[in-house]
Amino acid sequence: MTESGTRMARLRRPSLARGILGGLAGLVIGALPLIVAAQLGTEIKPGGFLALGYIGLLLGWLAGLGTFGPWAAWALGRPVNTEDQAAAHGRGGDWTRYFRFTTDHKVIGIQYLLAFLALFLIAGVLAMVVRLELAQPGQIFATDTYNTIMSTHGTLMIFVALNTIVGGLGNYFVPLMIGARDMAFPRLNALSFWLVPPALLLILLNPLFGGFDTGWTAYPPLSRQAELGEQAFLLTFITIGISSIVSAVNFLVTVARMRTTGMSMMRLPIFVWSLLVTTAIVLVATSVVASALTMSLFDRLIGTDFFRPAAGGDPILYQHLFWFYSHPAVYVMAVPAFGAVLEVVPVFARKPLFAYRLAVLSFVAIGVLSFMVWAHHMFVSGMAEFFHIPIMISTELISVPTGIVFFSALGTIWLGRLRFATPMLWVFGFIWCFLIGGITGVYLADVPTDLVLTDTYFVVAHFHYTIVGGMIFGMFAGLTYWFPKFTGRLMSERLGKIHFWWFTLAFNASFMPMFWLGIQGMRRRIADYPAELGELNLWASVAAWMIGLSMLVFVYNFIRSWARGPLAGANPWRARTLEWQVTSPPPVENFEHLPVVSSGPYEYGALAAGPAIQPTAFSGPDGRPR
Amino acid sequence: MAFAIWAVLSVLGVAAVVGIQILPIVASREAVVVDRALVALTVVSVPVLVFVVVGMLYSAIRFRAGDDDAEGPPIHGHRRLEAGWVIGTFVMVIGLAAYGTIGLLEIRGEQLADLEVRADAKQWAWEFDYPGLGIASEELVLPVGQRIRITVISEDVVHSFSVPAFGVKQDAVPGRETQLYVTPTLTGKYGIQCAELCGLGHTRMVASVTVMEPAEFDAWVALQPPQTGD
Repeated sequence: MTESGTRMARLRRPSLARGILGGLAGLVIGALPLIVAAQLGTEIKPGGFLALGYIGLLLGWLAGLGTFGPWAAWALGRPVNTEDQAAAHGRGGDWTRYFRFTTDHKVIGIQYLLAFLALFLIAGVLAMVVRLELAQPGQIFATDTYNTIMSTHGTLMIFVALNTIVGGLGNYFVPLMIGARDMAFPRLNALSFWLVPPALLLILLNPLFGGFDTGWTAYPPLSRQAELGEQAFLLTFITIGISSIVSAVNFLVTVARMRTTGMSMMRLPIFVWSLLVTTAIVLVATSVVASALTMSLFDRLIGTDFFRPAAGGDPILYQHLFWFYSHPAVYVMAVPAFGAVLEVVPVFARKPLFAYRLAVLSFVAIGVLSFMVWAHHMFVSGMAEFFHIPIMISTELISVPTGIVFFSALGTIWLGRLRFATPMLWVFGFIWCFLIGGITGVYLADVPTDLVLTDTYFVVAHFHYTIVGGMIFGMFAGLTYWFPKFTGRLMSERLGKIHFWWFTLAFNASFMPMFWLGIQGMRRRIADYPAELGELNLWASVAAWMIGLSMLVFVYNFIRSWARGPLAGANPWRARTLEWQVTSPPPVENFEHLPVVSSGPYEYGALAAGPAIQPTAFSGPDGRPR
Repeated sequence: MAFAIWAVLSVLGVAAVVGIQILPIVASREAVVVDRALVALTVVSVPVLVFVVVGMLYSAIRFRAGDDDAEGPPIHGHRRLEAGWVIGTFVMVIGLAAYGTIGLLEIRGEQLADLEVRADAKQWAWEFDYPGLGIASEELVLPVGQRIRITVISEDVVHSFSVPAFGVKQDAVPGRETQLYVTPTLTGKYGIQCAELCGLGHTRMVASVTVMEPAEFDAWVALQPPQTGD
């Protein structure tokens, strides 16, 4: 065969290159009807080209990657291409499987993890630019540039917080932790990941479309008058939402149906429980925000007036719909971090997780209550007056189950035998930061204090303490804990500890003063502020840049340890959950024989003589250990 | 031991907080309620904060493992402690919510007012109408000691009328009227700012409110040209 012949043959197979070609073709095909209409003299808004072109691109991209091949073959009654199937299972061994449409949950986990860690770095750089503007009174950037940078930072970080633990660590570890070979719907799992790259590309390109200046909350009518970049934001958010819903169904079915023998619900590792609750929230809430954003999109594109007061629409309706998702979304970010933290604590305290059942109940309670608190974002919005009181009560009530996370963590370390490896340091950092975030949250749940504090830097400080202090600290705890498992190598403890202390001190130095700035009346989302607040803002900016610099240590440690770290062995932390009972990294099929579980996941201490799984679990069919 | 450290630090912390003023300026009856609530929440927060921090640091020192492979005792829970924690935190938050409700009713419960003002927000400026007096102004001027109802309206996008010194804010929503009550207690000049992102000029959407003695206020009203048009 000639060289061009093989290249053609390769293009006929699903691949990244074919995905890109498919995407470009889809872009043209999607926009084509409008191009024709424009040629015929119809006036078409630029937003129309962007919307249809993007939808075409998304479908073409997925088709090129091979998403629909087996489904189409099934629908048409044709045989499925076995070679493609084998490739999709990730058996290709080499690194190229990370750049293919691959159904192995471990490959998808790594894809999510690396994609969103990269996004974390990009959004972090944007945060440093925001702090550059705010370092001194006066303006460096034009206001619309600043607004775009601030809005893009916020939106990207929301995606990072939503997806890194769930998509990355969740995909990788949930099947391993429950003793399954894969997720329930491996192909949907891959679909949920591959929806993400075009969406992220679109929002990263939003400056080309004039940027967007509405913040990630995108309140109408402002969002209606904003530039085309706003639409990039809307389309991206909707796509990420679809991806989350698909992935949520997959997690729920996986945990419900794929648990191995003996893995009862009350033996589930706490991290799995946290994802179960999280994905239930995602499934119920995400379609609401997707609707709100779609209505916003239609208001812009085809002249519906859902949120336009002049035509009978209502801007406050958008706020209700938006926060009905976006407050539960905070728990979508935080609960997996609770899970990761409570997963790490028993291993490094060498003691069973304290009050496991109560912790499980608290997750469920958080999941239920999270739907009843959304309007605390709207105490000054002009919503119905009486509604303030029940929402204040429900919001403050959610601190009861959230408090149980601290109770459980403290109860576990009490009388434990603590080992301060890097993951455990992140747990302690989490307890401190999330405690500050939780306590200051009460100030915002209480209506009288919220009246003065809302929309100020107090809120900025509060949610960074909950999302960074909660989700990011939990992510680092989980990442450093499971790194040996998914890479097979140990991370440098020395660099890990340097990164922890550097990041934690810089984070607190940067955000603690913002509470005070907020009390002084410094508003959110402004490009400039009164001169007398300059000194403290400069301090916060320098500290924020230090947070950014600390990430260089992490990136170096992450890459270097993955490439050349000492081999970890199966179970370097001597943990008892199932993922540590297989090789590092685990084999493609996870378990040669599915394990049989005979006790809870945290049986540390004097009575825990036997392993968490029966000895037969890893023996061959003939009964001999392999 | 840990309990004693917690008790001592909590008492010291609460003693340090009680009686302080947290807001930089308290220039209205509403801000008094808000500041009192800020102090109350801080008083309740101190023992909680100290409890967790002492528990964490005490454990970190006391329960640090040597380099042996020792394991902790196999304690899975403690029924009474768990129930106590849940009930304790539940009672605490219900108390806070009740206190917050009282404060809210103090600030917004009374629907009467001595003076009506309309705050008209548009991108990116404020205008203030005094419907009862037939005047309009770019700057807000209020008499001290009177309860004022400020009806907030917007012509274009969502804005928010915020006066940090008064301790209150209220969104301006196109298509509806929202209300804010404030009773200034201190004469002086304070900042008004838009607190809801409203586009390009958001940062610069500021104005001022001057609070004066009623007699001065009447004199100021007399000097204003009567409002034309609507």
